[in-house]
Amino acid sequence: MRLVIDEVRCKGCNLCTLVCPYRIFKPGTIANRKGILVPVTDRPERCTNCRLQKIYGRTLCGMCQMICPDQAINWVNEEVYEPHRVVVED
Amino acid sequence: MSGDDWLRKDRLPHIWCAGCGNGTVVNCTLAAVDEIGWQRANTVFVSGIGCSSRAPGYVLTDSLHTTHGRAIAFATGVKLADPSLNVVVITGDGDLAAIGGNHFIHACRRNIDLTVICMNNQIYGMTGGQGSPTTPMGKLSTTTPFGSVEPAFDLTELAKAAGANYVARWTGFHVKELTKAIFSGLSTKGLAFIEVLVQCPTNYGRRNKYRSVTDQIDYMKTHSVLKQKADRLREEGNELPEDTIILGEIVKRSLPAMGVRK
Ligand SMILES: Cc1ncc(C[n+]2csc(CCOP(=O)(O)OP(=O)(O)O)c2C)c(N)n1
Ligand code: SF4
Ligand code: SF4
Ligand code: SF4
Repeated sequence: MRLVIDEVRCKGCNLCTLVCPYRIFKPGTIANRKGILVPVTDRPERCTNCRLQKIYGRTLCGMCQMICPDQAINWVNEEVYEPHRVVVED
Repeated sequence: MSGDDWLRKDRLPHIWCAGCGNGTVVNCTLAAVDEIGWQRANTVFVSGIGCSSRAPGYVLTDSLHTTHGRAIAFATGVKLADPSLNVVVITGDGDLAAIGGNHFIHACRRNIDLTVICMNNQIYGMTGGQGSPTTPMGKLSTTTPFGSVEPAFDLTELAKAAGANYVARWTGFHVKELTKAIFSGLSTKGLAFIEVLVQCPTNYGRRNKYRSVTDQIDYMKTHSVLKQKADRLREEGNELPEDTIILGEIVKRSLPAMGVRK
C-alpha cells in the first residue's frame, strides 16, 4: 500500500506531523495551486500501515488518518511499497 | 478510515478552517458508528447551529440541521416518536450550554437514549469569536477583550449532576481514546454525553496567542490529566492547577432511561 495525501482536501494544518511515530510527515514548504503548504512525506514506505495492512487485513496505526480533520490521508494499492516481504508464522 | 462509507464525499472538502478540530471529531464519531455496526436506515444525526453543528451535513444518513440550541429538543422528539432509531446529537459549546442549556440538563435528567457529542472550542466560532459559557477565565474573545471574568461551565460535571448515564471528556488529540468513548456512549442505554475539547485556530487560537494549530494541541496535551490520576492526586491532598483539563470516563451508570428500544 502507498500513503497519499489528497491535495484537494488537505488544508496544510500540520496535525499529521504531530502523531506519526516514524515522523513521516514534514511540514510543507512549497505552496500548491491553492496556496496550501501540503506536508511532504519522508520515506512513507516505513509506515506500518503501508507494510502490513494487507497481511493483517485491517488498518494498522492509522493515527494520521484519524487526526486529519480534512479526511485527506489515504492508502492506495501499490505493490512497490511492500519491498520487505514479511512472513507471518503460524 | 473505518467510517469512510458514512461520509458524504461529494460535500468534501468541508467548510471548516484549516486545523479546525471538528473534522477530527467527525472521523472518530464515524469510526465508532461503523464499529458498532449501525445501519444507515435507522440512524439519525441531529445538530443545532454553529460551525460544529454543520457536522451532520457531512454524514451520509438522515440528518437534521435544526435551529440554534434546539438540537436536543428535536432529537428527543425523534427518539420518543420512534425508539427504534439510533440518534446522535452533534453540538457546540454555545449551542449546547448557552442557548440550549435547559434542553441539555433536562435531557440528562430524563436520561433519554441519545448520544450527545459536544465539540467544545470554548468560543462562538461561527459568529466571529464571542465568548461562550465555556470560555476559560482570563481568555480573550470579542466580547471579553480584557479576558473573561466569569467562571466557565464544566459540562461533564453538569451532565453528571443532571443524571446522564455516561459522561466522558477527551480532546481532539486523543483520537483512539475518543473513538472508544464514543463507542461506549453509543452502546449506553440512556443519555451519553461526550465532551471533546477542540481547537478553533481562527477565532480562539488566534486571539489567545496560539501561533499555530499545533501550539493549541500542545497546550491540551500538557495541561490534561486522566481522571484516575486527578482523583489520586486530590486524595493525596494535592491541589490541581486551575487550568487542568480532566480527561477520561467521568461517570458510567445505569439509572432508569427513557426512549430505550424495547
Ligand atoms: C436564535 C439564534 N440566536 C443566535 C444565533 C447566532 N448564532 C449562530 S451560531 C452561534 C454560536 C455558535 O457557537 P457554538 O455552538 O459554540 O458553535 P461553534 O461555531 O463554536 O462550533 C450563534 C450565537 C442564531 N443563529 N440563532
Ligand atoms: S492533517 Fe490532513 S489536512 Fe492537515 S496537513 Fe496533514 S494531511 Fe493536510
Ligand atoms: S499510519 Fe501511523 S505510521 Fe503510518 S503514516 Fe500514519 S501515523 Fe505514520
Ligand atoms: S471558526 Fe473556528 S470552529 Fe469555526 S470552522 Fe473555523 S476553526 Fe472551526
